[in-house]
Amino acid sequence: MAAETADTPQHPPQDGIAAILKDAGIAALISLALALPLFGFRIVGFGSGRGLALEERWDWVVTAVLAVFAGRIALNLWLRRFRAVLAIGGRVGDGVGDKIGQAVAAAPRLGRILQAAKPAFRIAVAGALLAVALAWPAFPFVDRYLLDLGVIVLTYVMLGWGLNIVVGLAGLLDLGYVAFYAVGAYSYALLALHFDLGFWECLPLAGAFAAFFGIVLGFPVLRLRGDYLAIVTLGFGEIIRIILINWYPVTNGPNGISGIPRPSFFGLPFAADPPEGTVAFHQFFGLEYASTQRIAFLYYVILALALVTNLFTLRIRRLPVGRAWEALREDEIACRSLGINPRNTKLTAFAIGAMFAGFGGSFFATRQGFISPESFSFIESAIILAIVVLGGMGSQLGVVLAAVLLIGVTEFFRELEQFRMLAFGAGMVAIMVWRPRGLLAHRDPTIRLHARGEKA
Amino acid sequence: MPAPDRPLLTVEHLTMRFGGLVAVHDVSFTAAGRRITAIIGPNGAGKTTVFNCITGFYSPTVGRIVLHGGRGDFLLERMEGYLIAQKARVARTFQNIRLFPRMSVLENLLVAQHNALMRASGMSVLGLLGAAGFRHAEREAVDHARYWLDRTALADVADIDAGTLPYGAQRRLEIARAMCTRPALLCLDEPAAGLNHAESRDLNHLLRFIRDEHEIGVLLIEHDMSVVMEISDHVVVLDYGRKIAEGSPEAVRHSPDVIRAYLGEEEGEALPPEVTADLKGEGGAGAAHERGPAETQ
Amino acid sequence: MEYFLQQLINGVTLGAIYGLIAIGYTMVYGIIGMINFAHGEIFMIGAFISFIAFLLLGALGITFVPLALLLVLLLAMVFTSVYGWTVERLAYRPLRGSFRLAPLISAIGMSIFLQNYVQVLQGARVKPLQPVVTGGFQMFKGDGFAVSFSYLQIVIILVTVVLMASFSLLIGRTALGRAQRACEQDRVMTALLGIDVDRTISTTFVMGAALAAVAGLMFMLYYGVIDFYIGFLAGIKAFTAAVLGGIGSLPGAMLGGLLIGLIETFWSAYFSIEYKDVAAYSILVLVLIFRPTGLLGKPEIEKV
Ligand SMILES: Nc1ncnc2c1ncn2[C@@H]1O[C@H](COP(=O)(O)OP(=O)(O)OP(=O)(O)O)[C@@H](O)[C@H]1O
Ligand SMILES: [Mg+2]
Repeated sequence: MAAETADTPQHPPQDGIAAILKDAGIAALISLALALPLFGFRIVGFGSGRGLALEERWDWVVTAVLAVFAGRIALNLWLRRFRAVLAIGGRVGDGVGDKIGQAVAAAPRLGRILQAAKPAFRIAVAGALLAVALAWPAFPFVDRYLLDLGVIVLTYVMLGWGLNIVVGLAGLLDLGYVAFYAVGAYSYALLALHFDLGFWECLPLAGAFAAFFGIVLGFPVLRLRGDYLAIVTLGFGEIIRIILINWYPVTNGPNGISGIPRPSFFGLPFAADPPEGTVAFHQFFGLEYASTQRIAFLYYVILALALVTNLFTLRIRRLPVGRAWEALREDEIACRSLGINPRNTKLTAFAIGAMFAGFGGSFFATRQGFISPESFSFIESAIILAIVVLGGMGSQLGVVLAAVLLIGVTEFFRELEQFRMLAFGAGMVAIMVWRPRGLLAHRDPTIRLHARGEKA
Repeated sequence: MPAPDRPLLTVEHLTMRFGGLVAVHDVSFTAAGRRITAIIGPNGAGKTTVFNCITGFYSPTVGRIVLHGGRGDFLLERMEGYLIAQKARVARTFQNIRLFPRMSVLENLLVAQHNALMRASGMSVLGLLGAAGFRHAEREAVDHARYWLDRTALADVADIDAGTLPYGAQRRLEIARAMCTRPALLCLDEPAAGLNHAESRDLNHLLRFIRDEHEIGVLLIEHDMSVVMEISDHVVVLDYGRKIAEGSPEAVRHSPDVIRAYLGEEEGEALPPEVTADLKGEGGAGAAHERGPAETQ
Repeated sequence: MEYFLQQLINGVTLGAIYGLIAIGYTMVYGIIGMINFAHGEIFMIGAFISFIAFLLLGALGITFVPLALLLVLLLAMVFTSVYGWTVERLAYRPLRGSFRLAPLISAIGMSIFLQNYVQVLQGARVKPLQPVVTGGFQMFKGDGFAVSFSYLQIVIILVTVVLMASFSLLIGRTALGRAQRACEQDRVMTALLGIDVDRTISTTFVMGAALAAVAGLMFMLYYGVIDFYIGFLAGIKAFTAAVLGGIGSLPGAMLGGLLIGLIETFWSAYFSIEYKDVAAYSILVLVLIFRPTGLLGKPEIEKV
């Protein structure tokens, strides 16, 4: 808690110990006001309506205030060390966050290194990541847990890549992306259960449904300004969730749908003892049965889906429509003056993004075997968005790094569910303040007039 | 000067209101093909608003705007902005430059050829499959872009982000981008603003080249009198949203109404020499800047 | 008829609460053009601080209800304001002049953070409060159904009206209000004229937070339970109210709040309670599609 209150007061202090102390004092005072009610007292009780009482926690308040005081001093001293750098930079901004931002930018960081590096290096990194991803289930240390984690991370990578088309390329802030994920998941579950279709038949259908939803929802709202669009998409996301909760005959309400068929390996099921007349995967290949076989298969399915998403994006960025998306992100008015139809162009981005979410949703349904509205809350949209933004909007490699970082690192806090989201929210703010353009803000032109390296 | 060609653009009784403010009041004029028509006037006279009505960013309160195209007339006041650019082939630049700053110079020029490329890419399907026809079309688009890059001296910087170009180069790029749409009418909103002397001279060359070699009409908003006097064929003067004079540069320069609009009512007063010089087209920056932000009533 | 009247009273009460929150959205949007997504959480924090203040006063033996109410009101406003101020300072001010959507994303992060912050500090369980203000009028005591207008509802409506009137005066008549309106028009010019833009913006956040705190107190008294999650929904509904009334317009926020309160109440009473939140979202979507300037907002022509 101390960390985020640490850089509270108004102005970066001038040199001198007295100034630093005064500044830290103000910070401490403010943190005292913040901490007093919510740290100082905890509502305790038994939910019966009676016997609610306050538990006093003065030690927490004192700790928080002292931490802020010390943290502020440390921050100031640290900033002073960077002042020389900042002065050279010439841009002596006003905001504290600004200063920190510059300081952080001055310090070597992963993103920074990658960004400054030659494209060959980035390609090497991407290749290495791909190799690791391909070999992941085969690593000796990868147990069932890590394999599952791999599947989760890849799911988010795929969703991140899908949303990247909408947010990163087309610049449409979509806060309801999870709605399309839900549409994909429920489409698959219902199609598989009621029409007895297999995963691979359902996948394109689910994608098409989601894209259709994207078009229907997007058509009326895509002309709205950025932040209004964001709120409207959030509204759509919530509407769809509420419908899922209440439309019992179809969705079975909050209880969700269970018994969703698992995918099979070209008709070979993954089962310890398959039903009469069918041959299971392990029997066909003469292997011992192991539950990880199915997970490994799922892993490769999502890896393939993610790679398809990536290849698609890489290709479409070089097509006129991809460039028009980016141009719209940069300046819609200029686009109109060039004869680009903004609505249709945005709609394609929105629909394609929705389609990939639909694919992802189908995969989610088949992996879990069970879905319920709970899995499609706003927070999922926020996580996917955070991956895209943290990665550096538009950067494909950035999405991978961000997904690994966000999902992988926060997985360590799995036990402490609330702290996980606490850190997540604070991280989102911190990233915006420090690197509003994300880890990998670099962008290569999609076409060149002169060969790279040729002296212009 | 040869006799004026047939009109390319006809503006009739154009009026634009913003709430109580009448930004443009009953303005009519025509612009001919292969001619440079200048719209001048003090700050806040309504010049940009006229442009915005022509290019579909505002829909005029009253008035009719017709573009006489090769394949029939377009009623611009009824068309959506992007269709005006797409179908009627009216291209424009903006007073406060609007490039795609985080895209390369070449990409800016390819976006300008979006509709043609989109068709060639079979609405992206052929493009995704890597069809030969699309690759060919893209090469042609690059060649076209290259042509304008050479004309605007930007070929060397084709692969860097547009936002990192110096100011003068950004202005040229915006013109190149507008030309890449192969327009019938090119509308330029203060292209010389912020340019130095040499750049301003080059701009004059470029505009003449566009008029003479590409045979399109140019509509030009300009504060810089030297530019206006030197290159325009026809001048329309606006003040407080009304048209106060129209004619050849020579005629407009001597119109008493214009002198009054630019220099205020007290004609008798001794004017600072640099102001008179400006008005006569001898100075650098436009005289209108001296007047400060005019509150139009 | 009685039923209708009862719903009307309930709707107005709810609308008063939404209106108070909506003012915070509308003021911030007016001045810096961003959706303060974390404003709902400020409201939630206001409710928690009020709750704690109540228990504290109870423990101190201050049980005279009007006095306790007043003290809680003041405490909640003061302490919640500090949160409003801090949020702006940490999450938004550094992003001024950054790319368009950065503040909104930062605000979403802040909203997630504050929710979990309160959850960690105060626990996830819902917190029920014994009714503080009890009793009321009974009207039209007819056959079987009586319309009741509780003292609590009267208090809520009265406090809201008084606060809104004084805020309107504050913004309409004082130098602070002028500075705010100047910032809305042109921030650079305002700074050049020697007005401290940062301070003006901070003040706006503080005012919004103070009103949200009042709304939090009212909400807590009215519903009798709070948890860390109340800010999300209430926030979205209040934002809808602000948009419906015309974002940037103070009377619009009040009108919008009232309408949303009424619509929600009548929707639940006559149609379906399950879909009552869908009603709010649908209104939001419809208003933005068909009348993005809202009922009282001024039409805005994009400057090119
Ligand atoms: N979208 C708008 N909403 C309200 N008023 C506007 C709008 N656009 C322009 N105006 C007003 O219309 C008047 C004319 O503005 P316009 O930009 O057309 O002037 P201009 O001749 O281009 O001036 P300048 O030389 O400064 O570019 C001004 O008073 C301006 O404030
Ligand atoms: Mg102008």
